[in-house]
Amino acid sequence: MVAVRANKAHREERIALGFLMTSSAIFVLAIALIIGFLAYNGTLLFWHDHVSLPAFLFGTDWDGFGGKFGAAPFIAGSLLATGFAILIGGPLGVAIGLFFSELAPERVAATFKPAIEVLVGIPSIVYGWIGLTLLVPFIAKVFHAEGDGLLAAGIVLSIMILPTVISLSEDALRVVPNSLREGSAALGATRWETMSRVLIPAASSGLAVAVILGIARAIGETLAVQLVLGNAAVMPSSLLLAASALTSEIVMDMGDAPEGSAFRHALFSMALLLLLIAMGLILLIRFALRKRT
Amino acid sequence: MASAIAGAPPVNSFSESHARGRRLVDSIATVMLWAAAISVIGMLILFVVYLFVQGASAISWHFLVGYPSAADAGGGVGPEIFNSFYVLILTLIFTVPISVLAGVYLQEYAGPGRFRELVQFSAESLATVPSIVMGLFGLIVFVSLFHWHFTALGGALTLTLLNLPTMMRVTQEALSGVPATYREASMALGATKWQTVLRAILPSAIGPLTTGVVLVSGRIFGETAALIFTAGASVSYGASAYDFNPFHTAETLAVHLYSTQREALVPDAAQIANGSALVLLVMVLIFNVTARLVGRQLTLRFTGKAP
Amino acid sequence: MVEPLDPKPSALKSKMRVADLDVYYGAFQAMKHANLDVPERRVMALIGPSGCGKSTFLRALNRMHDLTPGARVTGSVTLDGNDIYAPGVDPVAVRHRIGMVFQRPNPFPKSIFENVVYGPKIHGEGNSKRLAEICEKSLRAAALWDEVKDRLNRSALDLSGGQQQRLCIARVLAVEPEVILMDEPASALDPIATSKIEDLIGQLTKDYTVIIVTHSMQQAARISDFTTFFLLGDLIEVGTTSDIFTRPTDKRTEDYITGRYG
Repeated sequence: MVAVRANKAHREERIALGFLMTSSAIFVLAIALIIGFLAYNGTLLFWHDHVSLPAFLFGTDWDGFGGKFGAAPFIAGSLLATGFAILIGGPLGVAIGLFFSELAPERVAATFKPAIEVLVGIPSIVYGWIGLTLLVPFIAKVFHAEGDGLLAAGIVLSIMILPTVISLSEDALRVVPNSLREGSAALGATRWETMSRVLIPAASSGLAVAVILGIARAIGETLAVQLVLGNAAVMPSSLLLAASALTSEIVMDMGDAPEGSAFRHALFSMALLLLLIAMGLILLIRFALRKRT
Repeated sequence: MASAIAGAPPVNSFSESHARGRRLVDSIATVMLWAAAISVIGMLILFVVYLFVQGASAISWHFLVGYPSAADAGGGVGPEIFNSFYVLILTLIFTVPISVLAGVYLQEYAGPGRFRELVQFSAESLATVPSIVMGLFGLIVFVSLFHWHFTALGGALTLTLLNLPTMMRVTQEALSGVPATYREASMALGATKWQTVLRAILPSAIGPLTTGVVLVSGRIFGETAALIFTAGASVSYGASAYDFNPFHTAETLAVHLYSTQREALVPDAAQIANGSALVLLVMVLIFNVTARLVGRQLTLRFTGKAP
Repeated sequence: MVEPLDPKPSALKSKMRVADLDVYYGAFQAMKHANLDVPERRVMALIGPSGCGKSTFLRALNRMHDLTPGARVTGSVTLDGNDIYAPGVDPVAVRHRIGMVFQRPNPFPKSIFENVVYGPKIHGEGNSKRLAEICEKSLRAAALWDEVKDRLNRSALDLSGGQQQRLCIARVLAVEPEVILMDEPASALDPIATSKIEDLIGQLTKDYTVIIVTHSMQQAARISDFTTFFLLGDLIEVGTTSDIFTRPTDKRTEDYITGRYG
């Protein structure tokens, strides 16, 4: 009797294991297919439509329907918008992470944290809409410009990456042992001196991860950017002039680019570029972490 | 500093005025950190108030259930809201089982080794794929290669790929919160690993697991970039708009906000957009609150302990 | 209640005086009405079974309880006659004159040099020559100079436990305090490292007043001039070390000394 039951249980176990491993394998299959399809479609521009890689990466002339595929304006736009976002959102996020880990009393943290969670949950299209209807007119009034452009995009993006940077910074700071805080205080340091001279350096690798993940999030952001950037396919020359980014261009024109056209292939190439940048950043984190330990 | 203790002879070689400066810096730093935190909270309040003020006038029963209009004012977003939920459910049907099983495998079964590393690495890499890129993958495979054109199913499968890593992480975290003693006790009673997982571990992890699922659902509900080119951004009109067929176009509310503000064909496009934005915000709040409440309740029920 | 005991010959000056010290953690009173005179440039050992409050007492002497939410200190602690708990006194300044070494070595994840000059840098010393001098002087005083003089720029975390603890002592010395508080500084170290630290403590009394918490009676007997016995939050007895260990006046002290309870 026991033997029969045991057999059934073991059979059950083997079937379960099959499902478990298959589910895990799906992850591997998924990323492989994604990379594969994107690599194929993203390189069609080069080997099928005979556009050279340097012309694509560095050319500043873009006219999808007219056969000009210099993507430099979009690359520059993405980099600048992201750079601007991390310039604001990075220090601000670390500061608030510092606030949560060192300053905030329990009750304050308990009220503020759910608020940050709401910020995370707001869909990017809603951020874009707020940016378009609230921020852009504001910038227009203050700076006597159109209002859209890199300034607007940078601000919106910095807000969107804040929760990521805040929570990772806080985690990195909390991990620093309390004995270091005590040691610094016992040497006569003020709280700020302890924070700036001991805690932040000690948590630096974790803070770097926070910032890099913020960058990765910003560079992949599409909708919010598209609504406030202005979508002019020109090299960005000012924070207040309309510009364009890789993500915004893809979402803008993919619907119009005819299937099989070089235009569409160029957009796929931009998507491939985005994928490579995003994956590259994460690999950077992996290896930066490996080096530290 | 020596003279901060009044009357004591200065023993150290450092000056006193420097101490005052340091105290000042410390106070300024404290104020600035508080200001940073408060400003972010203030910003959130600003956004919420703004969306309510702008969108409240658009909300009406007709808006919430009525059909969108092709050219006239007064359209609603009923089908779009329906589609948002429909696509969400479809997505969860695929995402939850796969992620939970994979999470269980990694957390409970897999020993260190190449397969485990590979799966972990794949999940991390999958998590880095930007949503627009995932949308394009969906376009390539489901829309073009499979010739489905825009479908709810295509959108759901794309969203599944997008959310697999997050859901797996949720599972792993929920499982790691289960005390080792549960496993040991179950195995000591002669249960197989799978029986242990199914009957002892998963039930006690149900709280954090559900919280995670509901929170991720909130993100899925608001997803746009991955759906525009897979589930479609076109609006169907008339009775066919409320549609359970997964092989039909399914513009969700978030995508509708995008297409409305972009095309602005109807005269009240701005108002529809405002209303849609408000509905999206309210849904996010509902998901957030529900996630916490449900998680707490389930943990109480299944483990008898408060979380 | 114990009278403020004056265990030393009147020739010795009192460096610190504790009067009516109470320490509360929330509602729990961890130290009750402690009174003590600490003689200058001597080693005062604080002994007692675990949980008796000796660490609590020690931390009240440099206002470390300010950092613990929910902790409350009443009474006075004077340094050369000035109450460190007087209103308007900056705890940062207090800790400049009263330094502390902890149970587990806690060097910062920085270089050895940066660890030692951390205090002076905070207090405004910017001259690199002067900092190098301070570094050497402090490391010599902590009996660590010869072992690390060639690798000052290497990470402090590469040092052994005993070396790290001596580094922490050097770090405190660099600030030029007058009193050094030590909370079981050798309890996490092996016997060889422990004896090095004990030798060092003996040297320190040339310039500093040392108050050391120790759970080892043998250590107290080895290195201290005066000993104070605590039990369950009360300061029971204080006297010269030889008096306390050979003819304690309070029975509770005697019970502890003779090993009645650990």
